[in-house]
Parts: sequence; structure tokens; C-alpha cells
Amino acid sequence: MPVMETKNFGKISFEPDSELEFPSGLPGFESRRRFVAVRFVESDPIIYLQSLEDSDLCFITMPILAVDPGYRLRVKGEDLGQLGLTAARQPRIGEDVLCLAVLSLRESGPTANLLAPIVVNLSNRRAVQAVGPELEYSHQHALMPEEASVCS
Amino acid sequence: MLVMSRRQGETILIGDEIEIVIAHVGRSRVKVGIRAPREMQVIAREMKLVSDENLRAAGADASGLSHLIGRLHPRAVSPGGTGVSEGAAEFPQKIPGR
Repeated sequence: MPVMETKNFGKISFEPDSELEFPSGLPGFESRRRFVAVRFVESDPIIYLQSLEDSDLCFITMPILAVDPGYRLRVKGEDLGQLGLTAARQPRIGEDVLCLAVLSLRESGPTANLLAPIVVNLSNRRAVQAVGPELEYSHQHALMPEEASVCS
Repeated sequence: MLVMSRRQGETILIGDEIEIVIAHVGRSRVKVGIRAPREMQVIAREMKLVSDENLRAAGADASGLSHLIGRLHPRAVSPGGTGVSEGAAEFPQKIPGR
């Protein structure tokens, strides 16, 4: 089983066929194509996307439906093509694809990028960051602002 | 912001080097042709927003997350989150080899 040295988690081992392939990388990281998803029971529902090509590069994500249970996924034709999915219909979250929101930590609190979810084809592990129409969802969606003030 | 009204096929000039052509006007979409010097990056704004957001997200320190997870957890196990566990369950869990 391959082992990868990472900045955040030390050494991690992973099944070779669990590797995710981003054929075009991610915006801003076009040359980073190979990632693994790492989960820990104690940090559920967080899923870390660790680059296999850069030990320092790790995105913090969570399932997009945990951010917005009513999220409507809309993937452009060219992204569906990269995923190897039919352009005839939109993929279903949990059935056809895994859909993750990338989190950012800001002074005002964590935000989730709902404008551009990470979409993984569950049948071939190909992935894209699918940038949606700009007006529909925010790239800086505040994660539970009310709960945050109640809980703190 | 300067707002100009143009018809299909008409052009706007920005300085000497940039031309914007209204190539096609549809019901809800407009096709725009852009002629600009090669060294000038032309991208849809949302691509820039996502690129900048990714750079910020990649700089986040995972160790600073513990309080966030504490807050997220109740929500994640609430009935509203059932679709989530189904989706995530399709995904094999990695075991850290520490």
C-alpha cells in the first residue's frame, strides 16, 4: 500500500485505487492532479483532500449537503465530459457523484465555497472542481453564523 | 460603471488594444467575442473568484479546525443531514498509517 508523507497528518497510507484524479487540476492549482480523501472519525464530517504531489497541499472540505441540505448541483457539459459522465442529465449526489464544498477559515468564521463544489465520479474516481453560474451560490457561504454565536 | 447599449454584431473598444464584440444575443445569454493582447488574461470572473478562494483555502491550517468540528458535528448528525451520510458512505474511509 503506498504511503505518503503529509504536513498535516504525518504519514498516511492509502489504497492505490482510492486515488482521485483531477484531469485539469483545480483553479489556482492546475498542476495538482492526484489527491486522496482522508477522513477521521473524530473530525467527521470533515473530509481532507490531500495532494499526492505536494505534501503541504491539503484542502479542508465537507459534503455539500451537510452545508446546504437543499443544494442543487449544476455541472457544465465540459465538466461532465471530464468526469466521464453523460451530458444528458445532471449527476445525483450520493448516487453518481460525491460532492464536496471546500472550506476556508476566515477571521469572521469558516466559509464554504458553494459556487465551485468538488465533484467526484464515484464509478471512476475522476474529479473536477465544477465552477457553477456566478449568481446562484456564493463562494464564501458562511457556515452556520447563528449557531456559531449561540454555541461559543 | 459605464453602461453602453449595443446590438448584436456591434463592438466596443477599450483603449487601443482591446475589442469586445457582441457576437450573439440570446434569450438569457449573450455571446461576447474578446480580442486582446495575448499576455492579457481573459477569464470569466467566477474562475478568478474560485482560484483566489482555493489559494486561501489551501493556506488553512487543519489543526485550527477543532472548534469548527465541534460546531459542525451536531448539524451533521441531525435528520436534515441524512443525504450526507449516504453520499459519504459510498466513499471508502482512509486509515491514517500513523
